[in-house]
Amino acid sequence: MAAMQRVASSLGTSASTYGSCKGTGVKVSDQFPAGLRVLVVDDDITCLRLLEKMLRRCLYHVTTCSQATAALKLLRERKGCFDVVLSDVHMPDMDGFKLLELLGLEMDLPVIMMSADGRTSAVMRGIIHGACDYLIKPIREEELKNIWQHVIRKKWHDSKEQEHSGSFEDNDWHKQGNDDAEIASSVHEGAEGVLKDQKKRSIAKEEDDAELENDDPSASKKPRVVWSVELHQQFVSAVNHLGIDKAVPKRILELMNVPGLTRENVASHLQKFRLYLKRLSGVAQQGGISNTFCGPLDSNVKLNPLGRYDIQVLAASSQIPPQTLAALHAELFGHPAGSMVTTVDQPALLQASMQGPKCIPVEPGMAFGQRLVKCQTNMSKRFPQNVVSAEEVAPGFVAWPSNSVGTVGPGSNLGGMSSQNSNMLMDLLQQQSQQQQSQQLSSLPEPSRVINVQPSCLVVPSQTSATFQAGNSPASVNQNYSRSPMIDYSLLSPQSNNSSLNIGQVSNGDLKTTGVSGYSGLGSISPLSSCSVNPDNSSQQVQSSTMTIRAARQLPGLGPDISNFQVSYGAKSSEVLDQGPLRNLGFVGKCTSIPGRLAVDEFESTMSNLEHEKFYMEMNGNKVKQEPYVEFTDNTRVGIPILSQLPPTSSDLMSVFTE
Amino acid sequence: MDSVVQLQRQLVDYTVQLFNEGFLDDQFNQLQQLQDESNPDFVVEVVTLFFEDSERLLDELAKALEQQSVDYTKIDAHVHQLKGSSSSIGAQRVQKVCIGFRNFCEERNIEGCQKCLHQVKREYSLVKTKLETLFKLERKVLAAGGSIPWPM
Repeated sequence: MAAMQRVASSLGTSASTYGSCKGTGVKVSDQFPAGLRVLVVDDDITCLRLLEKMLRRCLYHVTTCSQATAALKLLRERKGCFDVVLSDVHMPDMDGFKLLELLGLEMDLPVIMMSADGRTSAVMRGIIHGACDYLIKPIREEELKNIWQHVIRKKWHDSKEQEHSGSFEDNDWHKQGNDDAEIASSVHEGAEGVLKDQKKRSIAKEEDDAELENDDPSASKKPRVVWSVELHQQFVSAVNHLGIDKAVPKRILELMNVPGLTRENVASHLQKFRLYLKRLSGVAQQGGISNTFCGPLDSNVKLNPLGRYDIQVLAASSQIPPQTLAALHAELFGHPAGSMVTTVDQPALLQASMQGPKCIPVEPGMAFGQRLVKCQTNMSKRFPQNVVSAEEVAPGFVAWPSNSVGTVGPGSNLGGMSSQNSNMLMDLLQQQSQQQQSQQLSSLPEPSRVINVQPSCLVVPSQTSATFQAGNSPASVNQNYSRSPMIDYSLLSPQSNNSSLNIGQVSNGDLKTTGVSGYSGLGSISPLSSCSVNPDNSSQQVQSSTMTIRAARQLPGLGPDISNFQVSYGAKSSEVLDQGPLRNLGFVGKCTSIPGRLAVDEFESTMSNLEHEKFYMEMNGNKVKQEPYVEFTDNTRVGIPILSQLPPTSSDLMSVFTE
Repeated sequence: MDSVVQLQRQLVDYTVQLFNEGFLDDQFNQLQQLQDESNPDFVVEVVTLFFEDSERLLDELAKALEQQSVDYTKIDAHVHQLKGSSSSIGAQRVQKVCIGFRNFCEERNIEGCQKCLHQVKREYSLVKTKLETLFKLERKVLAAGGSIPWPM
């Protein structure tokens, strides 16, 4: 009841503000749902007009937009002026799912998708991307009458989350700290299984935890700091510089040297970041959901074999929960007209996930490599290419390169040296990107841009991929594609968190499906034809859709290659897919090996290009609500853990690569 | 007046016929129900939008199918949109052709696509003519002082 009251009061508040942002200036009474502020986005003007009329008859306040980019701009300018967004799926300038993800990340608005395409796969994609609902055209007025429920539901859940956020975060922080420590220790010690959970706590972590804990409650009450891309990049750089384990808010603050930024802001952001990283790394832990995930998708499997493999690799290497991987892949691949359908991936993912855990623990290095090799064989010839690159990629990361599991597997080269790994990752990424390029991705825009987003950890990978150019990554893969394997990763991570189809459902519940899915969607969105990345290849400023991708990149492990990934995706070639995931994997791996170093650099560079917020938003479902940027951090956080997990030598992934 | 009643009957009969022949479906009724005093020309307005949009799409489709290397993704996108808009106004037969059209797109069957384009063009012009006739009848009824018996 209390929650209800809160929701009601919040609604009341929003209701009272109904009239405030309306263009018409019509004062809307507080009689919810009347006066609900709806934004409709549809490139079909016939439908748009129709919906507008129907919504008006429901006594809603309607704003229409025939272009997704215009709608996004409008929403950004007038945040808080809309309660719900209705968006078509197929739009020329931006994929509806991408918009969905962006909105979820940036402003946590309930988004309802619409489409004449009522196939299960399409609806599934909507769910994955975080849509509150999916309406099949032609839409009847009765269906529109009910859309207010999504606003209420969201507000309710949000308030519930906030209610528990304090205690939750505190508890979680400790847990995360533990997990991070565990990961780090396992990595550094070359622990057999990345999946192992060790209860070691580094002192630094404890310190951080304590700090963060203390800061968190207060931070949450402080006025929100907008963590812009640049700011986040600075943050990531600082964290990488200090080392994720030793990054304390005070030192970070000093390094960042941003006037007006308080230690509490940084602490809170750091916590989210760590959560994100943890999610990325902890993805592998969750398993079993893949089944569910795979189920629905089977219908349209068009997934690239690579996509599957990628996930496998990821699952194997980065312990990303199969589901997450699947989700990521699904997202990535499933984008184009639903053709990509994750379904394909899912089965693969499941397998991958199943295999992954097994492999890794058994033979730290070998298992992975072996698996990869296996995957390779399965994969198309492209894979072999990937495989090679995978080897180069850091062990841990190998898993990611979505393109070909093979790439990951062969990772024999990986051998796991951190520097090596990072280089490898870079190489892998490069290769992937290259491969992708040759394969299909035609357009991948400067990879560097996109991928770098990965907070601290993943940054490295992006560099390798062509985008890096920044040269942060040792390998300096910069070769053409920086398709960000990271992207995959990001996709994965969010998903992994969920372990369920809902991408972006962090296990902690932090991730917002929207975010995650958006991210993944981003990846997928970029199919050659539709990827914003593609067209923009050259420019970092990928179109909004690309931006999302970038955001994904930022996600640790997601790698800047998101754009790349996307592109490949669109190419509809397995190659594309392979590359993406692989890259991400590689990327992730890199991060671990070169904590902070690469990530920071790349991240910064990419960040500037990327829409940082978006990225964050995605990663952090919950967090987004509070701070757009926060989302991002979470992602980054996730990335970092992964990195830690994949210490060049110790992680299984690494060894796998070497395999 | 007799003429009004006659005209109204004509209108009703014609509309029923259109429904029976499958040119229009229930969605068109929904459309008509949305028309009210604040929007007396709503149906005409929306249908006109549909005409404009469809003609543009059909042109794009023709162009796309003439290309040397056919971009099926683009064609599919166009057909999808045409399907969506035709379903929104209740142009049932157009919508049905679009469904088949999309299948051919998926199969990358150029001949099937061309056949469907031909078909959809035909259905479109048919429903356009019918609707224009319908609107003319409506105007006559209104001009004669009668009211349009929507919804039916």
